[in-house]
Amino acid sequence: MIFNTPIFFWFFAIFILFYGFVFLKQKPKVYLILVGSLVFYGAWNYSFIPLLVGSGLADYFIAQAIYKAPTQQRKKQWVTLSIVLNLGLLAVFKYADFALNSVSELLTTLGYHASLDTLGWVLPVGISFYTFQSLSYTIDVYRGDMKPRKGLVEFVAALSFFPQLVAGPILRASHILPQMHAIALPKFTAIKHGFLLITVGLIKKTGADILAIPAQHAFEAKGPISTLELWTGVLAFAGQIYGDFSGYTDMAIGIALILGFSIPLNFRVPYFALSPVDFWRRWHISLSTWLRDYLYISLGGNRHGNRTRNVFLTMLLGGLWHGAAWTFVAWGAFHGAIITATHYLAGLRIFARFNQSTTWLVNFIKWAITFYLVLIGWVFFAANDLTSAIDIITNLHVLNSTIASGNNAMTIFILTCGWVLLVHIMDFYVIKGADKLENKPWLFWLLMMLGQGVCLFIGEPSNEFIYFQF
Amino acid sequence: MSLSISNSNQQGKSPMTSQKLYGKTIFAIGLCIALALLSIHLILQGMGANSQGALGRVTESRAALPKIVKEPNEVVMFFGSSMTRAGFSPRKFDADLAEQGKQVKSFNFGFGGLNPYFQDFLSRRIADEFVKEDRKIKLAMIEFNPFQTTQTRWNNASPVLDSFLTLLANDEELMEIAKTDLTRGIRLFNIKYLRGSISAEMITSFFARELFPPQAHQTFKDDDEIIAERGRLGRLLGEKFDEEYPNYKGEAWSYTWQGGGTIPQERSEETLAIFDDYYRVTQTDNMMKNDRLSRIRSADIEELNFEPLLVEHFINIIKNFQRVSENVEVMMLPKNSKWIKTTPAAEKRLAAVVKQIEEATGIKMKDHQNLPQITSAMYRDTTHLSRYRGDIAYTNYLIQQYQNIL
Repeated sequence: MIFNTPIFFWFFAIFILFYGFVFLKQKPKVYLILVGSLVFYGAWNYSFIPLLVGSGLADYFIAQAIYKAPTQQRKKQWVTLSIVLNLGLLAVFKYADFALNSVSELLTTLGYHASLDTLGWVLPVGISFYTFQSLSYTIDVYRGDMKPRKGLVEFVAALSFFPQLVAGPILRASHILPQMHAIALPKFTAIKHGFLLITVGLIKKTGADILAIPAQHAFEAKGPISTLELWTGVLAFAGQIYGDFSGYTDMAIGIALILGFSIPLNFRVPYFALSPVDFWRRWHISLSTWLRDYLYISLGGNRHGNRTRNVFLTMLLGGLWHGAAWTFVAWGAFHGAIITATHYLAGLRIFARFNQSTTWLVNFIKWAITFYLVLIGWVFFAANDLTSAIDIITNLHVLNSTIASGNNAMTIFILTCGWVLLVHIMDFYVIKGADKLENKPWLFWLLMMLGQGVCLFIGEPSNEFIYFQF
Repeated sequence: MSLSISNSNQQGKSPMTSQKLYGKTIFAIGLCIALALLSIHLILQGMGANSQGALGRVTESRAALPKIVKEPNEVVMFFGSSMTRAGFSPRKFDADLAEQGKQVKSFNFGFGGLNPYFQDFLSRRIADEFVKEDRKIKLAMIEFNPFQTTQTRWNNASPVLDSFLTLLANDEELMEIAKTDLTRGIRLFNIKYLRGSISAEMITSFFARELFPPQAHQTFKDDDEIIAERGRLGRLLGEKFDEEYPNYKGEAWSYTWQGGGTIPQERSEETLAIFDDYYRVTQTDNMMKNDRLSRIRSADIEELNFEPLLVEHFINIIKNFQRVSENVEVMMLPKNSKWIKTTPAAEKRLAAVVKQIEEATGIKMKDHQNLPQITSAMYRDTTHLSRYRGDIAYTNYLIQQYQNIL
């Protein structure tokens, strides 16, 4: 069940009737959220519900055990068990086939004829999100940052909370559990803001589905295509993945607001970033901060002179988190490399003035370089394999005059650029000035009607969300 | 995303109750979405985007079924693609058989843009109507069109898939889909009852075609003189039509077309000569090359990588007609082999699919692809037979073949 489908609309309408009119007290509300979330998840594949609930139950009891453990040594053993369980789930469902295939290919390259049978298991939707969320709870309890919660149902309800269950943002236990413990009745202004985010998310998702067409044209071309069409495709993919993922999380945040929950921001106009480090402060914030707090810091962070290694390793694993393929590893490594390079250059005296300057020209240069690097990164992310990625990157930089662009190529390029810019302007406005709009009821509802109308009017068949596969 | 805003209602001056708050929410959001939906309906109506606009002739033909089942004469139906539409002249068929003392009423149920998946649902509606009236079709001729059954054709149908489905399937069939895939089922009911069967994908596809016309049509260009002559002759033929059919009435002719359409005997020598000139300037090598490219791109016409689902639906079509017909014939229509050259691998795949269909239905498929009666000059493009030439020759052939069972 995904947010931009009629089935979700009717599910949510029925859910709201129970939530707002029948289950008015705290405990029944929590039960309703749990049941609603499991129905939401089960609509995709009910056979994976035990995995979701089981993962939550295990971490709930492990957190209790960590808290009660008499020695640090014992606490460490319990938290290790939690890490092994959660990462084990990911390893089996997400990475086993990738590992088997890679070993098989390696052996073949070395001259051994080896064909290892893969598991071929279905990847449970949202597994990368809820395992990380659950893991953050046991690690926080282990570190003493929070106490374990008493309410088992509250914990499982928070873990499976349907707005964020399948594609994030990755919520910290410390953020969502107190809200689940005392569910607040939202203000109408918060509900309006939620509806604004849902509408903005729908617009972004609709645009993303349309951008998928030029993106596919470039990444799945059966023959040579022109440099202009290739750049259009890469740019379209950048717009598609942003619209798709940030659109989904906007809707998640909006739906949660209507239910009285606040979910932190996951994107902050990322393509306006002025450096690769800045990009990661704006892109999939809940993942980048998770990786920073639970991986980068655990590796030693900036200390011991190992920053380069730690940054690189964190980005590499961050890439692998997105998918079990070498292209994702390469994407992570590429970002690790450009962040490391940024740190290095920032330390050079020759760049110090440039780095500190905030004039528009310098900012424009910084932005252009960053955006270019991000686009190159997306080639690894979107390509079918590493060879294709390298080919595409090469062809992006070779002006091949023998291949003519298709009809309307320039128009499509301009429209793609325009859409990516428009979405960012819209996001910027929503972050900075939504309250002004919300204070003008007629204008607000008129714009919402127009926004909903546009999304109902046009659409493309590919309505799956890209991040579901992660 | 000003999440610094308080979303809690607990410290307000006069806190709203949950019922009031969510009542207000449902009213405001519900009204907003309802108005958005209403405005879309108005825009679609303004654009003429409705079931008639989307599937005009199909809708007309469905509406004609109650009349068809009550025809006093034996009913003959030719069911297929746009190749059937262009290649079979029911009026000639009926008139020639009448000369032999055989009173039949034949109908051309050939529709462009419907692959076997959609045709399956349409044939169910036809069968429903005949079963309801306890009537039988004397002869059902079903076209098997290989290039309508390819994966490419199936993939290209995705923007219109759900719209067409809601126009052709009944509620029980949509409910069956909902039982196996609830998400899709609810979407289909939504499209049918809240959107008047016009999906967002269909609208996007329409605008995309308008804004970005397919490239293949423009790859090879004729001389300006030929293009101008094409326009002049087209206009002239329009004028001749007005002269020769002064009492033309659209709605009456449409039904008659299903039982007839224009035939050469009704046209003057001069008009037929203009048609010869018209075909000369519309069947240039460049036009044919463009058309071939377009068919390769849109239907995989030379490689024929079949979509198994479409083959299954084609088998269903035959079975639907078998329920309500005394005689069922399945055939592949004449092929313009001068321009369309299927590869040896495609021929192999075609043979396997034909065998599959024959085994599933018990009917031997007739191969009319390379009839000596049909020459390459009888096509108006790389696939369709031309009016007054190809359609007449092929209809003659059909009369010869099937007169004995009528």
